Amino acid sequence: MGGRARACQRIKYDLMADTDTLTHTEEATSLDVPWNVVVHDDPVNLMGYVTYVLMKIFGYDKKKADILMMQVHRQGRSIVWSGEREKAEFYVQQLQSHQLKTSLEKVE
Amino acid sequence: MKAMPTLEGGLRIDAESPNDWTVLRSIVADAGATNGVDLASRLGALISEEAGAEDWEEYIVPDLRESFQDDLAQVGANIESAIFEVDGAAGPVWISRADVFAWYSALNQARLSLEEIFHFGPGENIDPASLPPAMRAAYIRTRFYGTIQELLLDHVMR
Repeated sequence: MGGRARACQRIKYDLMADTDTLTHTEEATSLDVPWNVVVHDDPVNLMGYVTYVLMKIFGYDKKKADILMMQVHRQGRSIVWSGEREKAEFYVQQLQSHQLKTSLEKVE
Repeated sequence: MKAMPTLEGGLRIDAESPNDWTVLRSIVADAGATNGVDLASRLGALISEEAGAEDWEEYIVPDLRESFQDDLAQVGANIESAIFEVDGAAGPVWISRADVFAWYSALNQARLSLEEIFHFGPGENIDPASLPPAMRAAYIRTRFYGTIQELLLDHVMR
């Protein structure tokens, strides 16, 4: 796992199996796109607990955590954090370890 | 059953009869009940192929599973030890601040499992009397677990 800002791909063209091998190298560079950490609604986790976990994991103040929690509750999901992939994976793992339904989505 | 905050910042639950111990023991039993897919796998299934589902299943899900099972083992041991202390008669089980996350986790696992099996939904408009006996008992347990969670959240985790 982990983000890759740059991908280097080596392609070998085997032109004539027994005689020549032409090696052609292509380098592709792409921006490291941000990823969204998404919390989904479920009928079990208490609203106060969702707020508590968002404050604990992201260090959000209560007001911000409450707003995000209400988005989860009313809209069924909320993007609670966006950024670099490795950090996003870490946050998803933390949220899942607190039993919140959480997924990871590439920003479109 | 009675529950109250302690001066040390924890919570005590007083079992008043052998039936109350049975209800407390059911936390671990309910948490372990599944429709064939455990909580760690259900959470893992939320990760898409694009986000690395295969690696998540291989590296993260086993850790989640182990952590959830550790919480259940700890709470189960707390309850059995409390029952042993009073030889199954009326008595307290103490939830210290150090144990609160394991307790909250175990209660949550139990409620998530019951929801997975019975699909109560938000539950505000359910009339327990209208449910079949096994479902009614599960519904009452899930409400009880939720009430203890609220107490933990309000009095211990803050």
